[in-house]
Amino acid sequence: MEYSLQIVIDFNVKISPGAVVCDESEIIGDVTIGTRTVIHPKAKIIAEDGPIIIGENNIIEELACIINKAPATASPGSRQVMLTSGCIIGAACTVTSSEDLDENCVIYGANCERRMQKEHPPAQTLQIDFLTKILPNYHYLKKPTKSSTPQRN
Amino acid sequence: MTGILSLCDNKIVQYLCACGKWKSIYRLYLCRHCYKIRCGDCVLHEVDSPYCPNCLENMPSAEAKLKKNRCVNCFDCPSCGHTLTPRATSQMVSNPDDPGKSTPKKMFYLACGFCRWTTRDGGIPDKPTVSGGWEDMENPYAARLSSLLEHYQQLAQREKAEKERKKYVRRRSHLMYAASMDKYGMVSVAAKRKGLMPPTTGTLKENEEVTVTILKEPDTTKMHQRMSSVEFQPAETGDLFPGHKHLLIRRSLRCKECEHNLSKPEFNPLSTKFKIQLIAILHIPEIRVVPGAEFRHKKDTKVTLTFTNPVNTNTKIQFLQVEGNAGEEVTAKIDVPKKELVLAHRDDATMYDEMSSQQEFKDDSRSTATTLPSENQEQQTVWLEHRINVNLGTLLQQGK
Repeated sequence: MEYSLQIVIDFNVKISPGAVVCDESEIIGDVTIGTRTVIHPKAKIIAEDGPIIIGENNIIEELACIINKAPATASPGSRQVMLTSGCIIGAACTVTSSEDLDENCVIYGANCERRMQKEHPPAQTLQIDFLTKILPNYHYLKKPTKSSTPQRN
Repeated sequence: MTGILSLCDNKIVQYLCACGKWKSIYRLYLCRHCYKIRCGDCVLHEVDSPYCPNCLENMPSAEAKLKKNRCVNCFDCPSCGHTLTPRATSQMVSNPDDPGKSTPKKMFYLACGFCRWTTRDGGIPDKPTVSGGWEDMENPYAARLSSLLEHYQQLAQREKAEKERKKYVRRRSHLMYAASMDKYGMVSVAAKRKGLMPPTTGTLKENEEVTVTILKEPDTTKMHQRMSSVEFQPAETGDLFPGHKHLLIRRSLRCKECEHNLSKPEFNPLSTKFKIQLIAILHIPEIRVVPGAEFRHKKDTKVTLTFTNPVNTNTKIQFLQVEGNAGEEVTAKIDVPKKELVLAHRDDATMYDEMSSQQEFKDDSRSTATTLPSENQEQQTVWLEHRINVNLGTLLQQGK
C-alpha cells in the first residue's frame, strides 16, 4: 500500500541534470532538487504537506531528514523553514520552527546552538566534485527528470 | 551513546567497596595485596605526567606549570570548545620585484570543524606557517597579577619558614592565631565590607520609559564561552579569541592501605596500555540479572542470575544469606542455592570455536539465586567475600 503510494508521488520528484541523487535515498512527494546538489544514500526528503525545494550546490549528508509536515491543526505548508545561502546544519541538529534562517547561519551541537559565520563559507566545489565522482561507483543514482516542467497528474 | 555508559553505571548489581560505598563492578579495583575492593574514592591518585590530548606531547610537570597547564601548539575553539585545526588557503601576494605580478602564497588559519568558527571570524589575520605564530592576547592586568603573585609567593615562603620554626616551639596561643590570620591584611577589608549597605533597588514609576537594549542573540556570547577565557570575558562573538588547549594528566592509582599500585598506565601518552591494572572486572565474577522475572506481593519468584568468570581458573562460588544492616534496603526474603557452584574458567578460544564449548562438569540449571546474595569467590587459596546488592526490579501491582 505504502509502496504504491510512493510510486505515484514519485512523478513529482524533479531532479535537475547535474545533481547526484543516490537511489537508496528516500524522496517522496513534491521535491525539487537543483543542479550540482549531492544527496547521500540514506538521506530522507519527504514532502508530505507541501513542496520541498533544494537549490544548487547543496550537500545533503547521510541520515539527514528533511520533512515538510504540517501539524494536524495548521493549514498545509504553514510551517516552513527557509535556508538562505551559506547555512550549515550540523550533525544531529534539528530545525523545527517556522523561520527563514539568516545567511551563513551555523547550527551545531546537542542543543542546536546557533552562530553567524562572518564570512560566506568556502565553496564546497571540491567536495561536491569528489562525491559526484565517487558515489556513482558504489550506488545506483536516480535519473534526472528529462523535462524541466514536470507533468502533474 | 547511552549504551555502554549506562552499562558501566547501572544500579542493578552493585558491589560493596571496602570504603562502604556501593559501586558497579566496572568502577571498582581489586587490590591484589590486601584482597580488598577499592573504588575511585578510596585510592590515592598520583599525577604521572601532563600531556596534551590533541598532539599527545608529554611535558614534565614543572614545564607544564610554567605554561599554565596548557599546550603551546594546540588551540580550543572559543565558541564551542572543540579543537581547532589549521586550514590552508592561497592568497595572492604582490611580488616585491615585479609589482605588476602577484603570486599565490599559502596562508593558514585555524578553523573549528564542529561549529565552523574560524580565526577570520575573530578578526585574526592569516599566518604564513602551519603551526605557528599565533600570538596570545595581552592580558591588561598581567603586570598587576604578576606583582600579586610575587607578593604571595613571598608570603608563602615566610609562612613555610614560620611553620618550620613552630615545629620546635610547641606553644600556640589563640592570640597568635588571630594575629596570623591578619597577615594578608584581609580582616580590616572584611570588616569594612560588613559595614557596607546592600545595593539599593528602585521601583519604577508608572509609565516611566525604560530603554532596554537586547543584543541580537547570535551576537552575544554564551556564559560558557565567556568563562572559557576568564581574563577577557568577551561579550560579543566577534571578540572571541582562541585559547590554548588544556593539558590532561596521566595518573596512577595506589591502594591507600598497602600502598601498592592499582593502576599504572604506560608513560607514553600514545599508548592505551597499562603496566599495572588491577580492576575488579578482571578478577571478580560479573553478575547480571536475566530480565523478565515478575514480582508479586508475598509470592515466590524465580530469578535467574548469570555469572561470568573472568579468570583462567575454575572458580567456586557459594551464596551466603545476608541480613540487611541498618540503613540498607532489603525488600525481599531470599532463598539462595545451598550448593556450591563452579564457574568454568574463561576460555578465549571458545569465542572462535563453537564446538569446543563443552565443559568437564555439568551446569546445574536449577540452581538459580534470588535477590541479594552475598558471594564467595575462590582465587587460588583465597576466599573473597563480597557483599552484593542486586536490584531486581519493581513489584507488580496487585491488579495486574
